[in-house]
Amino acid sequence: MEWANDGKSKGGVLAHLERLEIQVNRSHKNLEDPQRAQAVEHALRTKIHKLRCLRDELRSKVKRRQARVRASIANEEPDQTQEISEQEVAERRRRQENVKAILQAYRFTGLSGKLTSRGVCVCISTAFEGNLLDSYFIDLVLQKPLWIHHHSIPIFIPLEEISAKYLQTNIQRFLFCLCEYLNAYAGRKYQADRLQSDFAAYLARPLQRNPLCNLLSFTYKVKLRGQLFLFCARLLYKDLTTTLPTDVTITYPETDALPPSWEEQRASHENLFFTKPLHQVFTSFARKGEKLDVTRV
Amino acid sequence: MDETVAEFFKRTILKIPMTEMMTILKAWDFLSEKQLQNVNFQQRKESLVQDLVLLCEKRASVHDAALLDIVYTQFHRHRKVWDVFQMSKGPGEDIDLFDMEQFKSSFKKILQRALKNVMVSFRDAEENAVWIRIAWGTQYRKPNQYKPVYVVYYSQTPYAFTSSCPLRSNIPLLGQALTVASNHHKIVKMDLRSRYLDSLKAIVFKQYNQTFETYNSTTPLQEKSLELDIHMDSRIIHENRIEKERVQRVTQETFGDYSQPRLEFAQYKLETKFKSDFNGDILAERKEPLRCLIKFSSPHLLEALKSLAPAGIADAPLSPLLTCIPNKGMNYFKIKDK
Repeated sequence: MEWANDGKSKGGVLAHLERLEIQVNRSHKNLEDPQRAQAVEHALRTKIHKLRCLRDELRSKVKRRQARVRASIANEEPDQTQEISEQEVAERRRRQENVKAILQAYRFTGLSGKLTSRGVCVCISTAFEGNLLDSYFIDLVLQKPLWIHHHSIPIFIPLEEISAKYLQTNIQRFLFCLCEYLNAYAGRKYQADRLQSDFAAYLARPLQRNPLCNLLSFTYKVKLRGQLFLFCARLLYKDLTTTLPTDVTITYPETDALPPSWEEQRASHENLFFTKPLHQVFTSFARKGEKLDVTRV
Repeated sequence: MDETVAEFFKRTILKIPMTEMMTILKAWDFLSEKQLQNVNFQQRKESLVQDLVLLCEKRASVHDAALLDIVYTQFHRHRKVWDVFQMSKGPGEDIDLFDMEQFKSSFKKILQRALKNVMVSFRDAEENAVWIRIAWGTQYRKPNQYKPVYVVYYSQTPYAFTSSCPLRSNIPLLGQALTVASNHHKIVKMDLRSRYLDSLKAIVFKQYNQTFETYNSTTPLQEKSLELDIHMDSRIIHENRIEKERVQRVTQETFGDYSQPRLEFAQYKLETKFKSDFNGDILAERKEPLRCLIKFSSPHLLEALKSLAPAGIADAPLSPLLTCIPNKGMNYFKIKDK
């Protein structure tokens, strides 16, 4: 309290006294209603308690509901998911097998392939008269320039020539050309094998053949009107892309001349070998009833 | 039978080990089953040989003895060192209509026209191959049966394999006979030599790698990885796993998964200038190239090279000079400065 500032303090002494009065009144008020304050306090306390109880109740309710929901889900789904998985797995497996089978079946088209890490592995499957024969592989590296990594093509097929001509410029032509050569080789080989195995009885001595099966030489027995003759046949396949010979020579090994009726036979046989596959010619011999005595000549 | 022929028989049969005697005699196909049954194979070798020579004496000729020699050599082909010859046709020549009988008669005629005393024998083998045995004589001496040359020719291919010829002067004639008889134009000796005839064949025919990726393979391609090694013992930690896997991968790419053809050596003849990092090195100052011969020997050279990088002895990838051997079909190299 500053008595010193007379004119400058707010209102002076009277105002100051007023202020003091107000202060006293306030403290009296507090002293007068302790119960009221307490009552208010008590009310607030109970409210807090109530709210807390409500909160806990609600919390437990939520928890219970969640548990129920989870339980119900757990009870329902196990059966359903199991069924789906089994079905799906079986379906997937079936589809996979199907695709695998299709990919494997591509072999029957004659030309198929599988991608490799560096290019493609081409498979050429040969066939003759509906019979599936050997398969040959070429592993190509797809780089510039294209090159052959390794292959299973027989050494006597002119792979180098064909590659030199077509590999870099026209890969389709390269593969088709190779297919042609391999199929023709397989066909010729098939005919020679059939002759050796199925018609061995007709041959007077073993069939002579070369690796490419493009030169076949054999002596076979022919019977007509009780007479048995031997014919020497020499078949040349100068075109390596065909399965029929380009040159046929049938000779009569004996020094005496061939009777004229036999000359006809000889000529007709020559014609047969030109036009029909080898084993089919011999089948026709067998069918025509030119039954041969299988005893040695 | 001539004494010399009997001696030739005796020496040839003596070469055959007892364990193989029956097999080789059967393959020879000269003595009948009955005759072989009557022979006592349990006796000592010398007496057995005498019995066999007596059996052959009646109707065997020197040619039959030569055939027996061929059979023995076929069973023991690794006893000879084989060279490889490559023939070529002229441009635009006709299709090869190979006739084995024609080849044999032509080959024989060419040799016999050039040399008076020469004995040629043939024996057909598997895969369209023919084994030819040539015993050389001179104008005044009969063929020497104890130093023959063998030629293995695969028909309708440009390749022939010959055992080392003791009389080097006859090699050009041999080459000529082969070339003309098989309808080829030129013949060249390849820089490839080994005892293992089948490996040489696999190399030049490019048949050493016959694994192909298809959808039809019954055995799925198994990815080789180091996983097995690493997980064998959990107490072992591989610090260089990544590097090891890289080396494995590179080795697999270079050498493949197949078994390598068998060679015993690789020889590099260097004629290069000496390269040195040091300035003023005496050798580096030489103007002439340094001559040097490096030879790698091994019971199985290519498998040994394949195992170098995985074993940690060499860096991967290996030098192309080493890895190109089967691909180029060479194991003799001449390296000059470019």
